[in-house]
Amino acid sequence: MTAHTATPHAAARDMEAPGVRIRDLTVVYKTPAGELPAVRGVDLTLAPGTITGVVGESGSGKSTLALSLLNAVQPPGRIAAGSVEIDGLGDVLTLRGEDLRRARGREVGYVFQAAQNSLNPLKTIGKQLLDLGRSHDVEDPRALVRDARDLLARMGMDGARVLDSYQHELSGGMRQRVGIMLALVLNAKVVVLDEPTTALDMITQATILRIIREVHEERALTTLVITHDVGAVAEVADDLAVMYGGRVVEHGPVTEVLGDARHPYTRGLIRAIPRLTGDLSLARALPGRPPTLGTLPAQGCVFRERCERRMDICETDDPAAVTHDGRTVACHATGRPLELVGREELV
Amino acid sequence: MTQTVPGRHRAAAIARKVAGHVVRGLVMIWAVATISFVIIREIPGNPVLGQYESLIQKGMSPEQAERATAVLYGFLPTGNLWQQYVGYLGSLLHFDLGRSLSTPGVEVTTLIGHAARWTVLPVLAGTLLSFLLGVTMGVYAAIKRSGRLGDALALSGSLLHGVPVYVIGLLLTAIFATLWPIMPSGGPVDVEFVPGLNPGYIGSLVHHAVLPVVTYTLASYGGWILAMKSNVVAVLGDDFILAAELRGLRRGIVFRYLARNAILPLFTILALSIGMLFGGSIFIEQIFNYPGLGLLLVNSISSRDYALMGGTFLVITVGIVVANIVADLLYTVIDPRVRSGGAA
Ligand SMILES: Nc1ncnc2c1ncn2[C@@H]1O[C@H](COP(=O)(O)OP(=O)(O)OP(=O)(O)O)[C@@H](O)[C@H]1O
Ligand SMILES: [Mg+2]
Repeated sequence: MTAHTATPHAAARDMEAPGVRIRDLTVVYKTPAGELPAVRGVDLTLAPGTITGVVGESGSGKSTLALSLLNAVQPPGRIAAGSVEIDGLGDVLTLRGEDLRRARGREVGYVFQAAQNSLNPLKTIGKQLLDLGRSHDVEDPRALVRDARDLLARMGMDGARVLDSYQHELSGGMRQRVGIMLALVLNAKVVVLDEPTTALDMITQATILRIIREVHEERALTTLVITHDVGAVAEVADDLAVMYGGRVVEHGPVTEVLGDARHPYTRGLIRAIPRLTGDLSLARALPGRPPTLGTLPAQGCVFRERCERRMDICETDDPAAVTHDGRTVACHATGRPLELVGREELV
Repeated sequence: MTQTVPGRHRAAAIARKVAGHVVRGLVMIWAVATISFVIIREIPGNPVLGQYESLIQKGMSPEQAERATAVLYGFLPTGNLWQQYVGYLGSLLHFDLGRSLSTPGVEVTTLIGHAARWTVLPVLAGTLLSFLLGVTMGVYAAIKRSGRLGDALALSGSLLHGVPVYVIGLLLTAIFATLWPIMPSGGPVDVEFVPGLNPGYIGSLVHHAVLPVVTYTLASYGGWILAMKSNVVAVLGDDFILAAELRGLRRGIVFRYLARNAILPLFTILALSIGMLFGGSIFIEQIFNYPGLGLLLVNSISSRDYALMGGTFLVITVGIVVANIVADLLYTVIDPRVRSGGAA
């Protein structure tokens, strides 16, 4: 594998990172009130060789979406509709049994949201690494261990010692980095990281995200990073998807989405972060609460309860996601290209 | 980096643990010894003094009678409490538990030694069998818990768990020795065989051991299957099992992760279970007329053979203490969190 290139995007495309196309994905959870959608009608394309960030409040369906990429939604959840096409792999949602198992880990690396608890407490990290290698028919276990040690060293740890440790001998942040190592070590071409840095301090967090970016570029990956931290994602991602109530309400290049947000929810989210607005007094928390499965409106726009731009149509019609100039927005008030022309006055 | 140093402290930690167990075990043995001393000496009618007096009545000289009684009980029948107690503990240290009254002249240790094999082997065999069976069925019941078979397995566990061991034993004899007599109705072995390593004798031994061992097995099987089922269900909900599946680990490997984590807590009740079976031997050996420690204890009580009673009681205590130590050591060896010094 060639090392760093001046233009990472070009390099990535040369080595043909796979594209990922999520189409019309709906995932429901069985609740006492029936099956309710945690992800509804989501279309999302991860361009080959890019890092896509996903942000949204707790409960907006980020983890559910991420698990769908591995066809791994757990009961009482169920993927009700849609497809997840990954280049070279086909529709993941149709994979079964051994085919699915082999794809997990080998083709799609996954960092679990609870990565601190993602290790078997009774085995050393090294033995679990070898179990991973054996499961995916890795021919040279010693090379695997070497790669693992290198990755751990890059993330600021003593690789040999970590591999010799049990989970309880590692701190939460160390475990999280071990989880990242295990997702990267098999050279999977698609990597999904669900809040990979929550247990880390700010400085380590920035370092780890930088390393994820580096590895991503070196290996020509297609990466999805879920996070609560809009500031952090701005530095690492190419694209940004904003989720609300199980919908992707806005999606586009990260600088454009953050610099010129179109969906009222995205704007509220950005306004709530002092670091981005620069002025503490201007930081304003988004009023109201995010919906839970039970409080999602049955019809109309999921965000209308908290929306400052609510119109009559929002009560009855769910806004379709409209793509224009590489930017996707699902909003009656601001999403349609025609209205975008006069957008300045509307703000 | 803030790792605890593994490895180096492990041996020391294990040694500390064993030492702690041994001390606690010794205290327990001492307590039981003291209680049996008090019983022998203070029971209404004071058997020691009674023995001494009856020997004198039979025409012995007081010195002879005193010595004869001391041989029986391990301490002198006269003298003050403290002297007797010290004498008793002293002979215990020499593994001298006195002599039996009901089998005159035979040392208690000899009787116990003969009886122990008829209890220890069946109890261990029953424990092993029920553990293997219960654990396997428990995993199955957990994985198939929403199916009919899983329900049936769990139900069998609950039912057996609630049935007293002597009921199981009586049912088994009623069915397999009376209604449908394919099993011997009691005793350790048929008398027509010459003891030794010949197939006839060994076959007869095994044949006679089947019902007692099955009874021991069924007595603790219910506990194992229920405990294992709930452990497996708990571990199945643990994040690391899902994480292992998301990493595409082979099913066999994920299953081993699951099984090891679920079995581990069972070792803490292993000692308890063995102790319970030892206790159960009192009933089971009576039902099957099996000459083990339980039967020995019952017979010693009914014949007021106090030295034998105290000795048997003491040996059963030692057995439970040893089982405790072994079970805890097993746990320590398997669980790295305990092994590295209890920081978990
Ligand atoms: N096992 C489950 N049973 C029922 N509902 C569930 C289950 N798992 C998730 N949900 C619901 O699905 C919705 C989306 O959950 P999800 O975990 O995907 O959110 P998230 O965006 O990842 O949140 P967070 O930022 O807190 O991780 C939530 O409303 C949640 O309550
Ligand atoms: Mg989540």
